[in-house]
Amino acid sequence: MTLPFTHVDWAAVAPLEVLAATGLLVLLFDLVWRPFAPRGLSLSVAFLGTILTAALIAQQYGTNVAAFNGGYIVGNFSVLFGEVVLLGTLGALALMGRGGSDRESAGTIALLLWSACGALLLAAAATTMTIFLGIELLSLALYCLCGLANRKSAREAALKYLLLSSTASAVLLFGMALLFGASGSVSLAALASPAMVTNPLFWMGSGFFLVGIAFKLSLVPFHAWAPDVYQGAPLPIAAFMTVVTKAATIAIFARFAYAALPAGASQMLLLPVWAIAGISMIVGNVGMLAQHDLKRLLGYSGIAQVGYILAALAGTTRLGLRYAFFYLVVYAVMNLGAFAVAAVLSSGDDEEGTQIQSYRGLGARRPLLAAAMTFFLLALAGLPPTAGFLGKILILAVAAGTGYLWLAALLLVGTAISLYAYAKIILAMYRPDHRVHAADIPRGAPLPWVSLALCLVATVALTFYPLLPSGLLPLVK
Amino acid sequence: MNPYLPVAIFLAVALAAALLFTVLPGLLAQRKPNPLKLEAYECGVEPTSSVSGRFPVRFYLIAMLFVIFDVEAASFYPWAVELHALKLFGLLEMVVFIVVLGIGYAYVWKRGGLAWK
Amino acid sequence: MATSFAGVPIFDYEALASVLFFIGLAGAIARRNPLVMLMSIELMFNAANLAFIVFARAWLNNAGQIFAFLVITVAAAEAAIALAIVVVVFRSAPQVNVDDVRVLHG
Repeated sequence: MTLPFTHVDWAAVAPLEVLAATGLLVLLFDLVWRPFAPRGLSLSVAFLGTILTAALIAQQYGTNVAAFNGGYIVGNFSVLFGEVVLLGTLGALALMGRGGSDRESAGTIALLLWSACGALLLAAAATTMTIFLGIELLSLALYCLCGLANRKSAREAALKYLLLSSTASAVLLFGMALLFGASGSVSLAALASPAMVTNPLFWMGSGFFLVGIAFKLSLVPFHAWAPDVYQGAPLPIAAFMTVVTKAATIAIFARFAYAALPAGASQMLLLPVWAIAGISMIVGNVGMLAQHDLKRLLGYSGIAQVGYILAALAGTTRLGLRYAFFYLVVYAVMNLGAFAVAAVLSSGDDEEGTQIQSYRGLGARRPLLAAAMTFFLLALAGLPPTAGFLGKILILAVAAGTGYLWLAALLLVGTAISLYAYAKIILAMYRPDHRVHAADIPRGAPLPWVSLALCLVATVALTFYPLLPSGLLPLVK
Repeated sequence: MNPYLPVAIFLAVALAAALLFTVLPGLLAQRKPNPLKLEAYECGVEPTSSVSGRFPVRFYLIAMLFVIFDVEAASFYPWAVELHALKLFGLLEMVVFIVVLGIGYAYVWKRGGLAWK
Repeated sequence: MATSFAGVPIFDYEALASVLFFIGLAGAIARRNPLVMLMSIELMFNAANLAFIVFARAWLNNAGQIFAFLVITVAAAEAAIALAIVVVVFRSAPQVNVDDVRVLHG
């Protein structure tokens, strides 16, 4: 018997190994030098490791390797989604640098890095086995991360997330088992054979699989957990979840929808997904109207934003994938920006000062921050001159072009509703408020400021750069 | 032969045996109770409170750690079976696995997870 | 693809796995005790495991067995994390019921 894997396989997963090893290093440093460690050592190590990983992944651009018997496929698709994952990770790490208690930071940072490992694995996973491993690595670390803050709401968020997400994992897994029974292989590519169209196991398996994915994407009938969890989780973790979890799950969904379905089944199987994506746009935006907490509001906003991204994928065209990816990047940047503003302002009390109430009169007290927040909210709403506007126009174009006019119409209706919700915060910020004195507002740590500035620049820059690499496909072969 | 027949026979035998052992003594035994007989058996002490109380949380902590390390140990079995075929590669893989596990173990230990305080 | 295994048709194994799965799903949705909900989730995982092993035998593809092994490991990690979170959440509560966990709503 020859060795099952070659150096090509190991080279393909090198970025993952570096990221995982960085997590271990952070733990080790914390163990060895605990009393004497300089402040921010864990964070610096984590930053270095993540940037190194991003560089290693960037080097894989343009290559096409199917490592580990086709379980881990490196290509432009995995590179691009991997970079979004790392972008979200860096953003979350930056928000962690806002000071406060440093006691638990090493464990938190290590868990965050391992969670990012799971997301990276998902970006390149092409068998149900690697998908399951990636999803569980991502989720298990996140359950802990949600519960680590010493607040009642954080622990509650962790419990809700754990119970609901595990149920979804189990549904997903049962779907995978049925798909394995249908094709006799764990590979997604094996599902694309025409023989599958008449196989009941394939239909049931795909159904369970898509329900599990819809849950992880917090699409509408399965969305109730998302706002609760985002509100309860610590700020950096909520930012991480909105960006990284969504990017990784959309990568999986795109691979499944584009490359793993036989020609005859694709339309019928995916139609319910597009339908719930359309409903998500409405429900997410309507849900925003009644919210009093910024994190919770962004959670509802995320439900709608995933709907927009899926609308671009609806025709399963190459162009659609490209625009969906563009909007994903834009969403990541503007969302991280909004979280960065919240982090600069956060007071570290029970609810981290993210109640919308506490933003009243911000325009007078901190004009710069208020302007930045306004900009990010307008971008999330999709108003010009932001990248959010461009992203939505592209999605509208591709949805209309592939015949999904009803999705385009729902997108417009959803956007109109969301304008009202975002405007409420913006108006609150610019309304004079005499109750709070300027001295109460913390200065904020430098790292969230840097993150804020970078997101601002990126949101503007992306407006002028919609020309993304076109070689996202092939996904599987 | 129906493949489920052995299962059915097994179930029937198990049910019959269980019924036999629970019902027969009640029917056949002679009952002549006296205070000495009704005492806690031989070396036992009279219970002072209900036994099914609440456990300290420490038990759950230890149980959690046990579950994790228990399953990790189960991962050794397939590796041990194929060790000859995997040669040096398999050995190195397992070393990496154990080192990673060891760091986690050291972390738990140092943070006081194993202390029965 | 083999159609039966030890004299029992593959379909029967698959039916058993499905029944287990739906019992688990019903438990996870209907029960209010988080520990029972976790047990139900474990039942769903194991239903999937059974399906994987049966299909691995049917297709003579060991990937299914490896998958089942992976799932066992993941389920153990999940159980440990779940226990930890349940202990933290209900440390001071007299009894364990998810309906009492309601700071977050709206």
